[in-house]
Amino acid sequence: MSGLSEVSQAVSARQPRSTVASARFYSRGVSVCLAAPLVAALVIGFVYPVTRLVALSFSGGSLEHYRRLVAEPLYLGVLASTVKVAFIVTIASLLLGFPVAYLMARLRHGVAMVVAACVFIPLWTSVLVRSYAWVVLLQRNGIVNGLLADVGITDGPLKLIYTEGAVIVAMTHVLMPFMILPIYSTLRTLPPDYIRAARNLGAGACRAFISVTLPLSLPGIFAGSVLCFVLALGFYITPALVGGPGSMLMATLIGQQTTVLLDWPFAAALSTVLLAVTLIFVFLFRKTLSLSKGLHSVH
Amino acid sequence: MISLPLSWNKVQKLALAGILPLLIWPSASLASEQVVIASTGGAYDRALKAAWFDPFTKATGIEVVTVVATNAEMRAKVAAMVKTGNVTWDLYLDGEIQAASKAHKAVTEDLTGFCKQFAGRKDLGANACAAGGALLQSTATLLAYRTGDTAKPVPQTWADMWDSKAFPGERAFPNFDDPWRVMAAALLADGVGREELFPLDVERALRKLDEIRPSVSVWWKTGDQSVQGFRNGDYSVGQIWLTRAKAMQNEGLPIGWSYKASFLVGDRIALVRGARNRENALKLMAFWLNSPEAQAKACEVLSCTPPSTEAIALMSEDVRKTMPHADEVRDYMVVPDAEWINANAAQLLQRWNEWLR
Repeated sequence: MSGLSEVSQAVSARQPRSTVASARFYSRGVSVCLAAPLVAALVIGFVYPVTRLVALSFSGGSLEHYRRLVAEPLYLGVLASTVKVAFIVTIASLLLGFPVAYLMARLRHGVAMVVAACVFIPLWTSVLVRSYAWVVLLQRNGIVNGLLADVGITDGPLKLIYTEGAVIVAMTHVLMPFMILPIYSTLRTLPPDYIRAARNLGAGACRAFISVTLPLSLPGIFAGSVLCFVLALGFYITPALVGGPGSMLMATLIGQQTTVLLDWPFAAALSTVLLAVTLIFVFLFRKTLSLSKGLHSVH
Repeated sequence: MISLPLSWNKVQKLALAGILPLLIWPSASLASEQVVIASTGGAYDRALKAAWFDPFTKATGIEVVTVVATNAEMRAKVAAMVKTGNVTWDLYLDGEIQAASKAHKAVTEDLTGFCKQFAGRKDLGANACAAGGALLQSTATLLAYRTGDTAKPVPQTWADMWDSKAFPGERAFPNFDDPWRVMAAALLADGVGREELFPLDVERALRKLDEIRPSVSVWWKTGDQSVQGFRNGDYSVGQIWLTRAKAMQNEGLPIGWSYKASFLVGDRIALVRGARNRENALKLMAFWLNSPEAQAKACEVLSCTPPSTEAIALMSEDVRKTMPHADEVRDYMVVPDAEWINANAAQLLQRWNEWLR
């Protein structure tokens, strides 16, 4: 009996040590070799082109393109509305996605698989197909207008398609899986004991959620929000298909400069500004969220 | 002794048989003559293949390889090819106006020398072969409308399109990053004469467009979208492409159009600078201009106007009836000032974006 407990003690004592030490199993040389292919791919496929892009925007060693970008109200205006749309889409994805992720983490395995399939299958479908589906739904003689008219809420068909609202709805739909999956993976690793402990100590369901579950799921919320926000800033296909003239986004302007006017230095300047704005917002996100305790456990 | 199912010798032979074609194949494809042309694909591509590429291959033995891309993609891709010195296309199709631009001249070969051989041809117009490319076909962007009651008058001019009392219903205009034709229509509706149209008075055009803006239900971006709106009844009057209007009529939709409110636009075949199969590419272009049969066959399907008058004579009565007549072209059709449009393209688009959003 005492022998058994000794063994179990030894096992439990060794376990944490081995997980901590595993990163140190490899010598520095091996670590470099293991990381080298990824680093090489990143340098060739990402760092180099982005550097070239930024350099192109300063072509001729002048700030001429940036001056034009600031001087014309169009460009900063479109940038502002791009950020606004990305924000709304991120918030909407969070509000709609969190309950789904929570459900997936709490459900029995079989049922959770069904819910997961409902999240994954749209993710595997082409963005083009999903965007066209919204055109079908929202057009003048579409299903939504038909339904509203049948119920008697509206007299004539509403203008739903080719509006900013349509862009936000369609983008939220396309980006929601990117919010659900990170939150789900955080909630999944959250031991149910924590919530049980909170309830034992007298917290109600709401209180337990707000003081335990929500702070501990912040890493997932952070990851999901950043993914959604960054992807939304660069959206091109969906706004082109379901958006109208009022929903002009930054990617549309970059596309115009690249393919219609062939003014690549100016397109590069627009892209650089969008990239800078993206990085600033990611940094701000981190700052805001790291004020809360939940993020101390993530890096 | 264990006998292997395959002797080593056999394995070697099999391996060689497997590798040899791989070694020979690329050189074989290099040896056979070919020419690479980029076009917008779909029905357009099929019609050109049947009428132009296949007879060309039959006559010369030169294989025609087609690549599919949108016009905007082609422009960007060709610019990138020429810039990096890795030219894989020989020919591509571009709009009449773009073919006269500086950016186009920078990436394509000047065809002035090539065009000399067509100078004496009576059936070809003066612009059938130009420095920027050989003319593929011409068509129009014009006013199209849903016909209904035969007793009612139909819109004929751009002023009619702006007159929502006489012609009620919603409107459609294009918004595919090429705003001159919308502005030009607005100016014509505002009473500017065809001769004084260019240079465009952009501010006046936008003021006139402010009047109609509330009635515009769709600013279409693709040809499909412009057709879909007519099908759905999203609008009853629109500025669309003639080819699409004809396609709708062929479908049986009650669609009419007016050449009194139309702009002449066309497509050109351009030769990429540093093309690998330059000689074959020139042969393919010459084949098009020299064979009215090919032009007639393609334009019969695509509802376009071929460059050669002989080709027009070869086309069926039905198609010729809906084609713009010479006097309509002379009296009403607006030929855009490509030089002015290209020189002001960036400013036009910027002002348009500002107004639109």
